[in-house]
Amino acid sequence: MNQQDGDLVYDYPAVEAVLTRHEGKGRAGLLPCLQDLQQINGWLTPELCQLVGQRLNIPIADIYGVIDYYALLYKEPVGRTIIRVCDDIACYLAGSEEVLAEFKKWLGIGPGETTPDGKYTLEVHPCLGYCDQAPMALVNQEIHGHLTPEAVATLLEAK
Amino acid sequence: MAAQTQILTERIGKIDPSSLEEYVGSGGFEALRRALTLSPVDIIYEVETSHLIGRGGAAFPTAFKWRAVAREEARPKYVVCNADESEPGTFKDRYLMEGDPFRIIEALAIAAYAVGANKGYIYIRGEYPLAYQRLAHAVEESRRAAYLGFNVGGSDFCFDIELYRGAGAYVCGEETALFESIEGKRGQPRLKPPYPVTHGLFNKPTVINNVETLANIPPIILNGGFWYRSLGVHLNPGPKLYAVSGHVRRPGVYEATMDLTLRDLIYELAGGIPGGRKLQAVLVGGAAGAFLGPEQLDVALGFDSLHHIGATLGSGAVMVMDETVDLWQVLRRVTRFFQHESCGKCFPCQLGTQRQAEIVARLAEGEIRPGDKALLIDIGLTMKDASLCGLGQTASNALLSACDRFSLLGEGGGQ
Repeated sequence: MNQQDGDLVYDYPAVEAVLTRHEGKGRAGLLPCLQDLQQINGWLTPELCQLVGQRLNIPIADIYGVIDYYALLYKEPVGRTIIRVCDDIACYLAGSEEVLAEFKKWLGIGPGETTPDGKYTLEVHPCLGYCDQAPMALVNQEIHGHLTPEAVATLLEAK
Repeated sequence: MAAQTQILTERIGKIDPSSLEEYVGSGGFEALRRALTLSPVDIIYEVETSHLIGRGGAAFPTAFKWRAVAREEARPKYVVCNADESEPGTFKDRYLMEGDPFRIIEALAIAAYAVGANKGYIYIRGEYPLAYQRLAHAVEESRRAAYLGFNVGGSDFCFDIELYRGAGAYVCGEETALFESIEGKRGQPRLKPPYPVTHGLFNKPTVINNVETLANIPPIILNGGFWYRSLGVHLNPGPKLYAVSGHVRRPGVYEATMDLTLRDLIYELAGGIPGGRKLQAVLVGGAAGAFLGPEQLDVALGFDSLHHIGATLGSGAVMVMDETVDLWQVLRRVTRFFQHESCGKCFPCQLGTQRQAEIVARLAEGEIRPGDKALLIDIGLTMKDASLCGLGQTASNALLSACDRFSLLGEGGGQ
């Protein structure tokens, strides 16, 4: 995502390609369309939502209703890297609290917050389905299992 | 271990999951080829004979759904694979999708042929990026080799699959909520009836099966329903995947017939509890399941055997907790989970999950008030009786079972 004087500059050809791919599918195109746009821009700006509404012929209120419903869709700016730390039963039993504390310490933010430089967003999630690798975190699309506070430090240093 | 099997997991770890050649080379797509020489009626007969029970958690007989959809006049019909595995402690579907993705495609094609559908959907949990990549690749490869598309395998049967990614909502694993989600709406459950077999995806007749359920189909077609029925336990036949996590030496997915006991699963297959510590509790069936204690280790992990002792197999999640665990911290997470994931459509669940989580958070801090137990039971029964879908109906199971089993609120429990 580029940002110039507060105006967002998108990769317009990519946005156009996504809209073309999903228009004509009606409502069934909405969720994949929002997911693909978010892949390009990181979050769903009001302008993008407007475009989706026009091209897929869906009321804007419905679009926000859908975005609000799903935990993985964002209508506010988020960091380029989203760290989702699992804190459910299996990960808790394996020490997720120490892992989460290390993430907080390194990033200087709490769950649900984004670093001021826009690089990282930290989230705490219910069971992510990798209990055999507990404690774990999803870093964007990467799966990081068997985490320790030391492993967290190594992971963030490498980024 | 007599109960251990390698049917569902026969290829996992042995073939490259991205290679169609290796899949076909290890007997892949043979079941589909055989199915295409049979009539749909015969296929459903085999599935019915097998007594295959759905592996998603609700334990519904698979052939019931297939037969009902096959009988429907309305067109088009759909087959849907529910791969939105989100029950805490459950990761067996991910294991199947990551390790043997072509199998799901083959099984879904057989289901489609049996019920007269030409379009299938696989709805994959949004937090499973690797499973999605593997399945997306497998769908493309299958199309290229004409196992999907027009004239599947040279027959006159046409079938294609579209993949959907979930976007982070547990309740979308509920079948009608999953349809709403594919239809581009908020994924809230619908009022049932009508059931998916008549009014499913896009209001058309729809078969919806869990990933693991579908993984059972190819061996049933190849070896017959009677063979399948002879495996394991009467009325709960066939292999089951168990996802073991928590305080065991070897957490992971284990396959066995349903006469496997909890003791053998924990102490033999998963290697026992590390550090010589004692077992305190086992949560079987995920957050919607129930707690068992050390005195129940000899129970067999089947649908019926667990039902008899007031527990549930659910999705097959087994979370093991040793003596050092503060159960209130676990219960806090269970109740917080339901509070977070309740969709808010019906009031018993929307309000009940919130009050329940608040009370448990207070109890976890050690602040017990008189009447707490009665209050939790009241909330739990109300949710069970009056909630729209399985989320609310099961949201109090783990909590109430723990209070009973371990007398967490004292014998009378703050009465």
